[in-house]
Amino acid sequence: MNTIVPAIGFGIVTASILAVAGVGFTLQFGVTNVLNLAYGDIMTAAAFIAYLVTSAGVSVWLALVAGAAFGSVFSVLLNRCIYTPFVRRGTRLFGMIIVTIAVSLIVQNGLLAIFGASFFSLKMSRPAPVHIAGMVFTTVQLAIIAIAVVAMLLIHLLLRYTKLGKAMRATAADPDLARNCGIATDRVIDLAWAISGALCGLAGVILVMNVTAFTDTTGSQFLIPIVAVAVLGGIGQPYGAMLGALVIGLTSEVAAAIFNPEYKDVVAFVILVIVLLARPQGILSEVATRKEVAA
Amino acid sequence: MSVAWQFYISTVLIYLGVDVMACWGLNLQFGVAGLVNFAFIIFQAAGAYTAAVLTLGPAQPASQGGFQQYVGGAHWPFPLPILAAGLVGGLLAALVSGLTARRLRSDYEAMVMLVVSLIATSVATNQVRLVNGPNGLALVPKPLATLVNLSPIDYQWLFVGITAAICVCVYWLVHIVTSSPLGRTLRAVRDNEQAAAALGKNVTGLRMLAFILGGVIAGISGAVFVEFISAWSPGSWLYPETFVYFTAVIVGGSGNNLGVMVGALLVPVGFLEATRFLPPFGPPGFIDALQWIVVGALALIFLWFWPRGVIPERRRRFPLAAKNAAQHEVPVRTGE
Amino acid sequence: MRLAVIALAAALALSSVAACSSSGGGSSGGSSSPASTLVVGEFNPFSGPDAAFGPEMVGGCIPAIRLINADGGVLGHKMSCVQEDTRGDPADAVPAAQKMMATETSLVGVLGPSSDEALATVPLLNTGHVPMFVDTGQAAFDHTTDAYFWRITPADDVKGYAMALWAHQAGYTRAAAVFGNDAGAQSDVPTLVSAFTGLGGTIVYNKPFALDQSSYRSEIESILATHPQVIFTEVDPQTGATFLSELQQLKGLLPVIGTEVSLQAPWLKAVNTAIGAGSMAKYFEGMQPYAPPSGPAWQTYNQALLASGSQVAKPASQWSSDPYSMTYYDAVNVMALAMLAAHSVSPAVFDKDVMTVTEPGSGKTVVTSFAAGKAALAAGKQIQYVGAGGPIVFNQWHNSTGAFEAAKYVSGNVSLVGSVSAAQIAAISK
Repeated sequence: MNTIVPAIGFGIVTASILAVAGVGFTLQFGVTNVLNLAYGDIMTAAAFIAYLVTSAGVSVWLALVAGAAFGSVFSVLLNRCIYTPFVRRGTRLFGMIIVTIAVSLIVQNGLLAIFGASFFSLKMSRPAPVHIAGMVFTTVQLAIIAIAVVAMLLIHLLLRYTKLGKAMRATAADPDLARNCGIATDRVIDLAWAISGALCGLAGVILVMNVTAFTDTTGSQFLIPIVAVAVLGGIGQPYGAMLGALVIGLTSEVAAAIFNPEYKDVVAFVILVIVLLARPQGILSEVATRKEVAA
Repeated sequence: MSVAWQFYISTVLIYLGVDVMACWGLNLQFGVAGLVNFAFIIFQAAGAYTAAVLTLGPAQPASQGGFQQYVGGAHWPFPLPILAAGLVGGLLAALVSGLTARRLRSDYEAMVMLVVSLIATSVATNQVRLVNGPNGLALVPKPLATLVNLSPIDYQWLFVGITAAICVCVYWLVHIVTSSPLGRTLRAVRDNEQAAAALGKNVTGLRMLAFILGGVIAGISGAVFVEFISAWSPGSWLYPETFVYFTAVIVGGSGNNLGVMVGALLVPVGFLEATRFLPPFGPPGFIDALQWIVVGALALIFLWFWPRGVIPERRRRFPLAAKNAAQHEVPVRTGE
Repeated sequence: MRLAVIALAAALALSSVAACSSSGGGSSGGSSSPASTLVVGEFNPFSGPDAAFGPEMVGGCIPAIRLINADGGVLGHKMSCVQEDTRGDPADAVPAAQKMMATETSLVGVLGPSSDEALATVPLLNTGHVPMFVDTGQAAFDHTTDAYFWRITPADDVKGYAMALWAHQAGYTRAAAVFGNDAGAQSDVPTLVSAFTGLGGTIVYNKPFALDQSSYRSEIESILATHPQVIFTEVDPQTGATFLSELQQLKGLLPVIGTEVSLQAPWLKAVNTAIGAGSMAKYFEGMQPYAPPSGPAWQTYNQALLASGSQVAKPASQWSSDPYSMTYYDAVNVMALAMLAAHSVSPAVFDKDVMTVTEPGSGKTVVTSFAAGKAALAAGKQIQYVGAGGPIVFNQWHNSTGAFEAAKYVSGNVSLVGSVSAAQIAAISK
């Protein structure tokens, strides 16, 4: 039994990373209707940027900023130069999924070609363990949790209290109506990608801060849990993604403590399937929106 | 033509046959019935495992030199394992669609299926007693190999013929479904669910039927695959493999069988095989990473120039309907 | 329907045309024109999750052919290494094998396949009369009758015996087994468990690990609750780094005994950065085939490796003590020497001489490099090639396993700590 309390602590750390990544992913889908399956690979790319930065002797906290900035810029360019043109040409949803997969292949193997099939780590000082209420964390992990909390707070403030946030919610709900109301949907979409891209980059860097060794496939291996988080919370619902991250992060760690660690990666998924069968719109979706992207 | 080249070309032809069948199955589910099945590959895998187990015979215990463990086992002669594989694929499809049965919106269903695919891979890998875990099954005897005494290359061509024959049977089945009233109804359900339901069509039941048929075909394709490769492990059916088939269907043109054939020729066979012939240069592993970049780029190029597929589904013109459309300006939607 | 009939007719027509022109049998690479370059295929994953295997193979093949070509080649032919990516799974590896055999007309042998694709491709390569020096440890090949199959790397079950023996010698009685749920790692476990328990120890924790997870902390808590004295492990570099650094953070490291996987450059690099060089040197030992980075054979290998420039993945020194790279280097030399001994570059002819040039025997000249072997053969002597990876003694099933060594990773180098002999392993493997 005394493995459960620490497991909860570990679950919080995993949940933090998942929350940052999941909110970004769900924002991208909510505002622009693109299921961006290249998301994990952009996280990896941001991690590599952070690696280059720390190898040059710069502090890891600046590397975080660099990674987030890279994610932001890359995502905006990706949407403008590749996704939007494809949509304009008439590619439907599942064609777009193939487009994002093709981008994922190119990014991941581009990293493989540039950096080689080796394993890399960020240059950081060795973290010290901290005991809180029966749970054990390291200083780095506490920082990760803090980063996640701050990021979620900022997103919350953005969505609830700023004009941009309202515009994003409007565009997510009904783009044509939003445009008719005078919202510059194109600019809103750009900013949505910039913000979610920053979250993506940030998530990539804190992920590799936690796993300590990464390679070109690290981010894409994290993609499915991110998708699960977004779906569990209701696609397009940032608060749902945060809740979903907690659920999935905690259940995987607690399950690994109690049951077999070999099933760690799928216990959370089984929960996802069960929850969705019971509540098909996701945990926090107020209404099963008709806005499914048509097949 | 040298024997080695014949081996390669016959292999590619067999792969083409398997991929074409798989794409037909996926097309039934996705292109015709509008169901997004991101776990498609597990139906193929289930068929492959079934056929393998029914050809290998019961597992030999380690004391007798056996090195694989799996459930069941029989020595059924060809083509029974293949038929059984189709049956298992269909049963699995019935189970899955029975559970999800259109309660989820299509993109959620897609993500749930993706997650199901991962769960299946994890179970197969970790439950070693099931299908020998990560090592997978091996030494599956080839069909008819003991009955006909052929040289290896002649047997290859025989297998090409067997694959072609099975493809013909599958095509016959698929053609019946898609060009029959059933097919029309399915397309109607895909294009406008409410209208079809209003006309009294059993939407859920029809979708389940298409899903199950797609599963049967996927199972058959898996069986042919494993009977050829003689080995099958979780590495061969990871979730990205579903996306290879989806890319094939969408690049080729979903909703129509010819388009899907072209897609199967282009993507799993064309892109993935042609890139093997890129000349090597650069540090070790560089060219192989480049191969995958080329695959991604080709997919993008094809989707750019042919957004609805190389051979898009043709609009079906019904004379009376056309006249009515002209009068009432009702847009005829062709889906993908 | 029409389409289907056409397709069927086309396939049948192709079959009959091909059948008329086929010449029976499935040999390839047999005939090489006078000055053609002989090709050694590097048949391993170069992309996908095991992409690190490929460059490691190149690190062994390139030094070998450099030395061979500098010494005048084999029977007037130069040699070259050609990469063939299997992409890490059987379904992709089969066409890769066929394509390799079709396009490389002077294919004399192959390094690999690995456990990712061996079960599907070994039969193909054997039918195609291609000698292969595999890096799979799967138990399925322990008693193989394939004539063209050669294994210089240890079978996974043998590794389990070695680890158990070493831990027992060190006095440990309570051990945790942390092995990934992949084929290669899980094959080590059964013999490890049976041997360790047979020697009087207890395995207090044994659950397969899902690889490349973002955290293993909960698993670590469970392991620590069973109070092990030592941890046996074989996981991939990323998993190893995550697991060991979290163990270090949570409670501090325990002694860790790994396998040759954990003595390869990618693993060492990842874990060393994760837990620090001091901890690495203090807590970690790996069991690998007895292949000390010393002695004349290794010196030859290492010099050639470091001079290989951009042909191998940089830095070249990462392959200096990699036992797999050494066995690949030896494999190429053995192939070349077998060709010389048989006076033929046709695999069907020289394959059996792989045994001839490596088995010990009275009156044989022991050689440690290709050049020495070539000279001795030219002088009419019989040779025994002892490689950078040590002596190669094939049993009747073309498997060669010798002694194992325990090695630490100190100041960036793999250094020997002790060893377990082949006799000891044989004793407990009954």
